[in-house]
Amino acid sequence: MDELMATLKKEIFEQLNLHHVKPEDIGYDQPLFGEGLGLDSIDALELIVLLQQKYGIKLANPAEGPKIFYSIKTMAEYITDHKKQ
Amino acid sequence: MELYIKGIGCISPQLTYDNSVFLPEIKKHSGNRMMCIEPDYAPYFEAGSLRRMSRVVKFSAGAALIALKDSGVTQLDAITTGTGYGLLENSEKFLKSMAESTGPVLSPTSFIQSTHNTVGATIALITGCNAHNNTFSHKGFSFESALIDTRLLAVEGATNVLVGAHDEISEKTFALMEKLHVFRNNEDAEIKAYEKGGNGVVAGEGAAFFILSATKGEGDYGILVDNAIFYNPESTIEVKELIEEFLERNKVGLENIDVVISGINGDAKSDILSHEINHLLFAHQTIVLFKHLCGEYMTASSFGFWLAAKMLIAQQIPESVILKNRHRRPGYILLYNVFQNDHSVMLLKAC
Repeated sequence: MDELMATLKKEIFEQLNLHHVKPEDIGYDQPLFGEGLGLDSIDALELIVLLQQKYGIKLANPAEGPKIFYSIKTMAEYITDHKKQ
Repeated sequence: MELYIKGIGCISPQLTYDNSVFLPEIKKHSGNRMMCIEPDYAPYFEAGSLRRMSRVVKFSAGAALIALKDSGVTQLDAITTGTGYGLLENSEKFLKSMAESTGPVLSPTSFIQSTHNTVGATIALITGCNAHNNTFSHKGFSFESALIDTRLLAVEGATNVLVGAHDEISEKTFALMEKLHVFRNNEDAEIKAYEKGGNGVVAGEGAAFFILSATKGEGDYGILVDNAIFYNPESTIEVKELIEEFLERNKVGLENIDVVISGINGDAKSDILSHEINHLLFAHQTIVLFKHLCGEYMTASSFGFWLAAKMLIAQQIPESVILKNRHRRPGYILLYNVFQNDHSVMLLKAC
């Protein structure tokens, strides 16, 4: 799980061009949207694309988005659960 | 309707983003293209918003914010922009990812940021301006059309309008155009070399933005009196007559024009008409060039407009832009630009 979260963090920083933030300043539990990293709706689209391109996971229910993309940890848990299926 | 120039912002292949100086040193670009000299954008944008901006969005929105700050205007009634090619770099990026993708989904950011109105929309988001926002993409008439729209908006009651234009050099499009042999090396950037001309043009890019206002104020740069476009005129005589009619409708005699800013681009073949017009009409005016400073691109006339505004407020003409000096102070300035078949004129005067 730790390895996946570290990889995911690296991929998110690359995909979203987050050069203004240091990766070590963002914890795995920290919110990605709102008061956390401050991501927006375009970033949400990028994260959906990332899940599909890198992990072959298609978001079945968009309403689950806020829960899945809450933090790097919740994303990693979702990937782990759905990779097993 | 006359409009007052309240603020200017220009990011170009010369040091133009600093409004406190006026072409202090000419940057000579080697090769066949002139790329922008860009400022540190940190004072203009939040770090988070920069991450999604391509180079042209940064230098265009940057120029717009410089103009806005320069004017002191806080409330915009409209944003009008012009661009010939739009956002090439992001378009190329998206098309490349589409060509290389094996999956059903693509990263959306470069697509979202590839539309021609991305710059206008970005400025609107930064300034919180929900008013009229229009982008004109009409080849060599793009900036000119934005100016016409601005003048019409002023007639309808708009007080302060941000108007400007932008175009960028991108790798793929530049490489494709290179194969068409439209560019030449900028071996000699001296103005005299542009008089003689060569085969082809030096590619250029840049963004210039202005705050135009219906109300007069202290420290205005100058006044935009009128502008007009002439599509595909058949002869030099036709252009001569169109310019004379344009001046007549503004009740300005040829003898009142002090300075002519000419869009001569250094390509001997396409400059023939401009040289003939200078010979026929402007024997007593100081002739100024600008494309040896910014290169040729569809909205290069916006750089010429910036040059006019700077000359009007400074009441001086830098040596580096003078082709023929008739020692006249810039009272009335006529900008005559040509981009292929697109001819345009802008009439400006001192306050």
